[in-house]
Amino acid sequence: MSEPELATPFRERTGRALGDRFLQQALDIATTKFIVLRREAFENLPEGDRLRDRAREIKEATLQQLDRHLDRLIDEIERRGGHVHFATTAEEARAIVLGIARRTGARTAVKAKSMATEEIHLNEALEAAGVAPIETDLGEYIIQLAHERPSHIIAPAIHKTRGQVAELFARELRRPGLSDDPEILTRVAREELREKFLAADLGITGANFAVAETGSVVLVTNEGNGRMSTSLPRVHIAVMGVEKVIPSMTDLVVFLAILARSATGQRLSVYTTLVQGPKRAAELEGPDEFHLVLLDNGRIPQIAGPLREALSCLRCGACLNVCPVYRQIGGHAYGYTYPGPIGILLTAMLNGPTSVKDLAHASSLCGACADACPVRIDIPRMLVTLRKEVNEQRIAPWTERVAFTILGKVLTRPALYRLARSFGRIAQRPFARDGAIRRVPLAFGEWTRSRDLPAVAPRTFQEQWAELERERAR
Amino acid sequence: MTTRAQFLDRIRAEMGKTRGSFPSRVSERPARPVEAADIIRRQLAERWPDTLERFRTEFERVGGVFHRVATASDIPRAVGAIARERDARDLVAWHAAGIGADVEAGLVSEGLAVRAVSLGATDAERRELRAASATAALGLTGVDLAIAEMGTMVLRSGAGRPRSTSLLPPCHVAVFDPSVLVESLEQAGVFLEAWHAEGGDWGAMINFITGPSRTADIELTLTRGVHGPKEVHAVFVEGGLRG
Repeated sequence: MSEPELATPFRERTGRALGDRFLQQALDIATTKFIVLRREAFENLPEGDRLRDRAREIKEATLQQLDRHLDRLIDEIERRGGHVHFATTAEEARAIVLGIARRTGARTAVKAKSMATEEIHLNEALEAAGVAPIETDLGEYIIQLAHERPSHIIAPAIHKTRGQVAELFARELRRPGLSDDPEILTRVAREELREKFLAADLGITGANFAVAETGSVVLVTNEGNGRMSTSLPRVHIAVMGVEKVIPSMTDLVVFLAILARSATGQRLSVYTTLVQGPKRAAELEGPDEFHLVLLDNGRIPQIAGPLREALSCLRCGACLNVCPVYRQIGGHAYGYTYPGPIGILLTAMLNGPTSVKDLAHASSLCGACADACPVRIDIPRMLVTLRKEVNEQRIAPWTERVAFTILGKVLTRPALYRLARSFGRIAQRPFARDGAIRRVPLAFGEWTRSRDLPAVAPRTFQEQWAELERERAR
Repeated sequence: MTTRAQFLDRIRAEMGKTRGSFPSRVSERPARPVEAADIIRRQLAERWPDTLERFRTEFERVGGVFHRVATASDIPRAVGAIARERDARDLVAWHAAGIGADVEAGLVSEGLAVRAVSLGATDAERRELRAASATAALGLTGVDLAIAEMGTMVLRSGAGRPRSTSLLPPCHVAVFDPSVLVESLEQAGVFLEAWHAEGGDWGAMINFITGPSRTADIELTLTRGVHGPKEVHAVFVEGGLRG
């Protein structure tokens, strides 16, 4: 299955985003608000830094014994009457879910917001198999009605105005003359989706964590759609990347303390739901069947790969909000399921380094993402690694490869560097103005299409420094 | 289809190639969680008024409505008042064992139409409960832990404790007493460990509830009651529940 955005080249996608004045404003308001809320939340948590360190160390320790923890998780879930499935690829994951849907005769599925099911393009597959998938997170519901894709990990519809949502609901839900008051729009969505929840055959969710020792799948939501999807339909299927497992309940509370703070600035999201298998015999409610689909889809090779650190990601979205590139272009321009700085790494993990030949450069490497990350993932370091990999695999344009190979040689040899400096001063004469070269000639012109190249200074820092040294010696 | 053995073998193969270069540490867990939870409970028993005050502040901050009554026999009057303010009559209630007090008769005399959940579980009861929960205006539950640090209530599902009572009705009323108060999420973690260590089945679902259902998905405008309850009330019973 393909990503529809990719039909347009990256440069055009970003150009479109930059030209969209509403999007620019919406992104600015949303990301700024999330940044402020997150900062306030951590200011009120003196032990925040310690908890972030602990969270990262727990993730790392879990990875070092991932087989053991998964083994335990599987045993505990099966002991409680649940089923665990194993998907090496997205295709296999889809086939597993479709198999369950077919066997249980399901016609409708309510879905709680889940990046993992977006990643495997489950909705298209369900529709093709005659099962209607209904997104129930309000933001996801809006974009599903609009046939669009999420633009932010935790606020999927930030690119839409209330007026657009009102028009959409009026048209798609046949409610003409609907007010654009978010309160009223939310009530309409509640009514529409309440019926769907009560009638649905399947509840499909992702998982924020799974606790190995207790066999718990943990969902964090604010709206309650995660609870609905796991309480009302007769079958619950959770799709989860293998890296989401953590050892114990003591570990879980460490993550809960930082997850919501990083995502929305809340101390805790409204609902944290721990699911331990299907309904018990003495219970009046809950699914008769519980299935967990453990997803590899490019994750397992990274246990020993260059993107290992990205396996600690909690999907909180904090790195998106602080990224100067995301703040300008928004989620759609990235073209894949996961946007933002971490999204570039996850895209490379899922689709290989070729998929990020442009995206690997969609970062200023300023480091704001690494600062904001609740588990301190060094995103810039891995972006540089990816750029190197993209270059080595010869997927970058030849001009770029030649230019950087030459630059690499020049910068590491002082004599050559001095020679190039003198040569540059002469060669740049026809092009340099006010200390900048606005257009590099020939095939290298791509470099200056959206930026200036600094000209060689009349007197460089090194030359000034040498002069000062000589003066001091006198 | 990939089997469990194939899947885990691939993971082991990759683990074998790693150099384990990042610092790592597992959490230090309580060696005897049941005793650790008991110790916390005993320490907190002496200073519950402070913990309660913190809970109240945080619970109200997230949009909850706090009530306080002297004894369990005052619960129906408090719930009746909440119902009358909303012109509500239909109420679904957990079984007395889950709430920690038998309030059914009292609620009926407050003029409420009460659907009290039984401990048994027949198919007829399942259907009836679903219909009643979908239309009830109020849902009445007990609380297994009240976490002061964030104004959070923890509810375990089980016999006589349906999951939807705190979810489907637009107004959720939860009843609790000093014995379930803890100060922090960290202490709640000890109780989760203890419930697990006590052995047996500790329920198919545990919910942490922090205020009413909310969303900010339309232009970041905070709106309550999108799927879950628009209102959450906590009724604190100073004299204690469960006898």
